Amino acid sequence: MAIINQATKELQVKIVYYGPAMGGKTTNLVQVHDHVQTAAGNKGKLVSLATSSDRTLFFDFLPIEAMTIKGFKTKFQLYTVPGQVIYNTTRQLVLRGVDGIVFVADSQYEKMPENVESFQNLVENLNSLKLNLAEIPYVLQYNKRDLPNAAPVEYLEFLLNNRDVQVPSFQGVAHKCEGVFETLNMITRMLLQKYINQGSTPSA
Amino acid sequence: MATLPQLIEEDIQRLDEALREFNVQTDATTSLIIDKGGFLIAHQGDSAQFDLTTIGALASGAFMANQTIAGLVNEKNFNSIYQQGETFSMFVCNVDEYCLLAVIFQSQSGVGVVKFFAEAVVKRIAQQLAVARERDPAAGLDLSVMNLADPQDLFRKKEL
Repeated sequence: MAIINQATKELQVKIVYYGPAMGGKTTNLVQVHDHVQTAAGNKGKLVSLATSSDRTLFFDFLPIEAMTIKGFKTKFQLYTVPGQVIYNTTRQLVLRGVDGIVFVADSQYEKMPENVESFQNLVENLNSLKLNLAEIPYVLQYNKRDLPNAAPVEYLEFLLNNRDVQVPSFQGVAHKCEGVFETLNMITRMLLQKYINQGSTPSA
Repeated sequence: MATLPQLIEEDIQRLDEALREFNVQTDATTSLIIDKGGFLIAHQGDSAQFDLTTIGALASGAFMANQTIAGLVNEKNFNSIYQQGETFSMFVCNVDEYCLLAVIFQSQSGVGVVKFFAEAVVKRIAQQLAVARERDPAAGLDLSVMNLADPQDLFRKKEL
């Protein structure tokens, strides 16, 4: 969970990009790293623990500071999980302490079973950490919208965004940086809103 | 899952003091308190030559991965990892359910002294975090100054 350091007025938040293998999670982080406008020193290195063929092995990690939020230093740590099925234990480790989730779905028709399986896997892994998806801010990104075999957004919504509460969803073409910042800004806003609400809760 | 405590000035001062004394005792270059989720909580020593944020995230991941491996081979007494280098080495040990202590030290120093003094400092750190945890978690938190309606406050894409 987020760390609030009252001494230095710092809020540290962990956002995890989750989704099926080859869906564009790492690409999202690469695009944020390459295109984010920050003051000097506010963007850390993008660290990728990947295989020789650039498949995520453990996680990608990008520490980044939000621009100006009136006196509060808000430090975001962006992680991806490895999408491949065999790395489930690793995904559980990365989810530890998560504050917000971006689920990156692959829009291609033939990837629908993998999207659904990965979403279900997310719910199960959160449960194993005694977390409930309904209580964690999350957004959906339907990536690869530029491909000819992309399924209609309505179909993706039906498959992935049909829980009790619908969450914000975005269309993306991550390799062109389309939808990447919209997604990140929405999850950021939802997270900060959550902490504002918590902060205004009267103490018992 | 329980959340980490909010840390106030007093907590940070006590944690810093514990780390400072530990660094002197062990001749450590840098010591860090990190959350098991990968956040850097406090640090003392040389922070100029290391990327402590990234080290925190990776050390936490490495510790958790090794703990899982230990569990898979039925080892229940897992408490620390040690990375032996030629110039600098690193020792990471458990503080409590939520936190770790990571120590970067010159390899010529040897890990023995680090392990020895870590035992005591870990108790001090755990004690302080317990004190912080017992405080009212909502006390004094005021993020309402943030203007979330203003999208300029968040991440902006560079204009090409």
